[in-house]
This record gives sequence, structure tokens and C-alpha cells, in this order.
Amino acid sequence: MLISEDTRVLVQGITGRIGKVQTKYMLEYHTKVVAGVTPGKGGEEVFGVPVFDTVKEAVEKTGANASVFFVPAMGVMDAFLETVSAGIKLIVVVPEHVPVHDVMKMREYAKKNNCLAIGPTTPGILVPNKGKMGIMPASLFRQGKVAIVSRSGTLSYEFAGILSDNGAGQSVVIGMGADPVVLTNLVDILQLFEEDPRTEGVIIVGEVGGFQEEMAADFIRAMKKPVGAYIAGRLAPPGKRMGHAGAMIRGDAGSWERKVQVLKEAGAEIFLSPIEAGDWVKRHGLTN
Amino acid sequence: MRLHEFEAKRIFREYEIPVPKGRVVKGPKEAKEASVELGLPVVLKAQVLVGGRGLAGGIVVCNSQEEVEAKAKELFSKEIKGLLPEEILVEEKLPVKDEIYLGVTVDGYEGRPVLLLSKRGGVNVERLAKEDPTAIISFPLPVFDGMYAFQARNLARDLGYGGATLINLAKVIHGLVRVFYDYQALIAEINPVAVLEDGSVSALDAVLELDNSALKRLGKEVPSPTSRIKNPLERKGREIGVTYVDLEGDVGIISSGAGLGMTSMDIIGSKLRPANFLETGGGITEDLLYKCMDLVTQKPNLRAILINVYGGINPIHEGAKGVVRFIKERGLNIPIVAKALGNRQAETWEILKEGGIHVVTETATEKAVERLYQILTGKEER
Repeated sequence: MLISEDTRVLVQGITGRIGKVQTKYMLEYHTKVVAGVTPGKGGEEVFGVPVFDTVKEAVEKTGANASVFFVPAMGVMDAFLETVSAGIKLIVVVPEHVPVHDVMKMREYAKKNNCLAIGPTTPGILVPNKGKMGIMPASLFRQGKVAIVSRSGTLSYEFAGILSDNGAGQSVVIGMGADPVVLTNLVDILQLFEEDPRTEGVIIVGEVGGFQEEMAADFIRAMKKPVGAYIAGRLAPPGKRMGHAGAMIRGDAGSWERKVQVLKEAGAEIFLSPIEAGDWVKRHGLTN
Repeated sequence: MRLHEFEAKRIFREYEIPVPKGRVVKGPKEAKEASVELGLPVVLKAQVLVGGRGLAGGIVVCNSQEEVEAKAKELFSKEIKGLLPEEILVEEKLPVKDEIYLGVTVDGYEGRPVLLLSKRGGVNVERLAKEDPTAIISFPLPVFDGMYAFQARNLARDLGYGGATLINLAKVIHGLVRVFYDYQALIAEINPVAVLEDGSVSALDAVLELDNSALKRLGKEVPSPTSRIKNPLERKGREIGVTYVDLEGDVGIISSGAGLGMTSMDIIGSKLRPANFLETGGGITEDLLYKCMDLVTQKPNLRAILINVYGGINPIHEGAKGVVRFIKERGLNIPIVAKALGNRQAETWEILKEGGIHVVTETATEKAVERLYQILTGKEER
């Protein structure tokens, strides 16, 4: 699922403060980080990983086939177009504050080129015992049967940790991003989970704002695997941006009540608090 | 960031979108002068950034100069959804024949701009979409290319207009789309575009919501988002680089992510009353958490603080130092419960404990809030 033995990761912005530290953590988690790119820093090394000036060269010399971004927000679109053009088919965009108009262009370009891109404002993808692309703190994750998709980074850690505490590992954890436009919609990630043979249960961690959860309802209704769902922001006041650019209730659009109602009607079990996921995995036989 | 109507209209005018003649005033006397200049009757419009301004009494038609002065005085002292206007827009009142809804917005699901157009403007377009979706023309816009003028003429024709009115309306449609792309906006909306008796058109209202992430590179003069925040604590939050949302309770929250912050707020709210929502995003440093403590403790009657952070992208051990430094320097003695997990957690716990903070090592936020509750209700010693 997404990250396997064949995944050869490129880190963009590898020589930056965050890029460096996170490369170390990814390597410690046995991720195959094969190359880094920072224009102008070609020839350097970061924890033994060779740095290139261009993505094209990195791909040619190392066979990199996936990329994770630690690039300043204003440079993300350019780097993204470069990466898709170089033929990479899996991209994780960690940075926040990427302009929405850029994200729309990136999304269109990725779709046209059959590239699966996650984010922006995402903690990335972690497949326990295989590797991670992004910033998820590894100590909270265990290998198992439950797939988690989360709009929030920190809540993806919290849910993985609660599941691990209850003896239920994860098949994959994906942060889908928290911007008004994301590169891959919730429904498309759910489809990956439904088709993944190692995944036996699915947890959706949503939050107020936008329509991602609502638009996934029909798909959830047709899913064969059990689905648990949590929506953050029950007490969020309307009209306030709750940290994430996409987490804002506008009138009655994007409200907690509406999302919970739609997900419930679609057959998902609603968690009123993350801790309830612990019981859920036990009841559905999703422990290891 | 949403602009005021008068600011949006200034921009729209540059794109050849006709707007009513008007003047922005800061007091009742000035409003009266403006009405003399513009000619009666006039419309007074409170410049507050809330939806449903008209229904809340923020728009008043006046037929005499005395009325203008009296009503302006009223408007300046009338809170609309908690906000007092600093400006009133005084405009000529036009003889309106039709009211058209015109909006360009981001379709978050499809990931592209969409233009919405309806002959039944003036009403809530979301409600109209539910009650009679056929009344709205939805025109997806290409992400890279924007719109050509002929497409705007086709849309005006679809609405049933011809001749000079068609040309006038098409210019407004095309102009608004260009504003949306040039300003990299999230929403550009005119509700309504008035078609007048003589076939000319005019934008009676104007909404322009910009993307804060794109402001710096626009190369255009726009107000600073910080200046728009009226609540002093929320403004201070923005100044130090975090998101702070003021709430009515007395238990403070510092969290390292939006989702975790909302969850902390929701769980606290089931037993206690959250004083705020605060999330740092990915930029934690010792200094930032010191400033967060300073901000959260400015809330009057604060009883306790929950710190809920993950070390993913954030160096939480650095943050812990800032928290403890604040407690020591200020002699803060309300209970603080912290849950800090992830990279360098053990180190972080040591630092926090040394500062007298109750450290919860379980994963679920519920457990940390439970601990806080026990302390506040006297079931556990402080």
C-alpha cells in the first residue's frame, strides 16, 4: 500500500532545517531515502543521501520514484510541476500556507499525469514496518489491519496511538491535508483502503469545514469494510478559521452536526471522542 | 481575509465593473454631506464583515438629510453580530429592474474555480441552490486559463438578455472573473448585480475574500489581515504566529495542531469550559511557547491550562523549556496538565515535570482532560 520495498524516496528541500531533521527520522524508520533535491546544493550529502540540483537528475541517477516536500510554501508549485514532469507518481506535500490557486493548478497537473499527490498541510503517509514519507512520529504506530485517513496531522498520531494502545495496529496512515483544496479527495483515499487486501477496517478523522466528508458519503455506504469516523470541532464557533485554512464553518455549511449526520446515515460509526476508537477496533476484531 | 464592501468596490471599479456613486464616511455629519453631494434618496451601508448584514439592520434607505444624519448616528452605535462599523458607505439609490446573483468561488471538491449565476439574485444563494437548483447556472472555470469575453457574453445571453444590457452584463461577469484570478481570491461575489431601467448595470454589493497565503506576492495594495482582527487576544495570536480563537470559558488550551486543538476544546467542553482554542502549527520554538503562555494567561479568570502537543515536525522539548521559563518568571500558580508525545518525549516530560506541570503519558486527550478535571474538582492535589 503506497510505500513498499520498491519505494525509493526523494526529499525535496533536504538541506533545509526541517528537511534535514525529517530525513534523519525517515531513515531511522528504514525508509529508502535515495536522494535529495535543493537547487544550488547539488553535490552535497545529508546523512549519506546525495543531493541534486534538479529532480530530473535525481531520478536518473538514483531511480527515485516517490517524493516528499519540505519546500517553502511559495516554492511548492514550481517544485511540484518539476517533480510531476520528471515522472514521479507519488508526491507528499507537507508544507502549509500554499496558495489555494497554486493547489488547484498542481491538482490538475497531477491528475493529467496520473500522479497520486497528498496534501498540502499533511503529515504524510506512514506504512508501519515499511517506511514513512512525512513527519509522523514513528513511536505511536504499530503494524496491523486498520487504515486511518485524517485531515489533521496531530489527530492521525492520536488515533494511531490509541489504536496501538488497544492492540490494533495500522495497515497505513494517511494525512490527506487540511486546505480548502486538497490534491487527493477523501473519497479517493477511501477507495485505496477498500481495495487494499491488508486493510480490514477504516477510520476517518475529519473536522469542521468544507465538504470532503459529505461528498464521501455515497462511497462509504457501499464500502464492505467497517468504517469509524470522528469529526473535530463540535464546539468550533462559525466563521472562525480553526487553525487549518479549510476548517471554517460558513453558515450551516461544514458544520459538525451536518457532517456527523451524513456520516452516520452512510453507515459509519461515529466516535464522539478519539478514545472511543479503542472499543471499536475490539468489537470489530481489528486487533492484531 | 475578507475585504470591506467599499474596498472590494474600489477594486471592482478598476476592472470596469460599474458600482453606484458613493462615499465612505466616518461620522454622521460626513454622511449628511455625502447625501447632499450624491443627491437623495441614499442608502447607508454599515461596513462590517459579517454575513446577513441587511437582515440585521445594517442597510438603511434615507429620503432626507435629517434622516441621513440620524440614521447614520444610529448605525455607528449599533452592533451587528457583535461588531461596530468604523465606516459607513453612503450610496445613491438606483432604480433597479432585475437583481442578478454573480459569484466566483473555489469548488473545494472539484479543485477548480466555479462561476455561479442566477437571475434570482438578492436571496441566499445557498438556500436557492437547495430549493431550486435549476435557478442557478454553474459554470466551471479552467484552472490555468480563466475565461474569455465571449464566454461571458454567452452566459449573459443564457440569462435572457440582449443588446446593450447583454454587453454591460458580460463586462461585469468577465471583470469579476479577472478580479478572482488576478487577486488569487477565494470568493469574488456581487449580489446583486442590478439591471437598471435604462439597461445599464451596477454592482450593488461587493464581496472579495482573499487567500492570506497569497497576499504577499500579489503585488497589490491590500490591508493587512492582522488589522482586520478585532479581538485583541486573537490579534496578538496572529502577531506571534499562532491561531488563537477566543472562547467564553476559563480553561486555556495550547496545542500543536488544529485537529488536536479542536479535540482538546471539544473534550474540555464536555465537562469544563474552554477559554480559547490555540494551535501553533509546525513552528514550535522555546520562544513561541513562552509567548503562547503569555497569550493564554491574559484571559481573565483563567483556572487551568491544558498543553497538548505532538513531536512530529515540532521540537516539543524546546517548547517545554519556554513553558517552564514562563511559569518561573511570572510565578504562575494555576494547575497545568500537559500531554506531550512523539519525538523526544522523555526529555520533554522531564523538563515539564521540573516546572511543576502535571504530565500525562497516556495517548488519549480524554485522559489529560480527566486529570485536569480531577485537579480542579479537588479530587487530586494540585
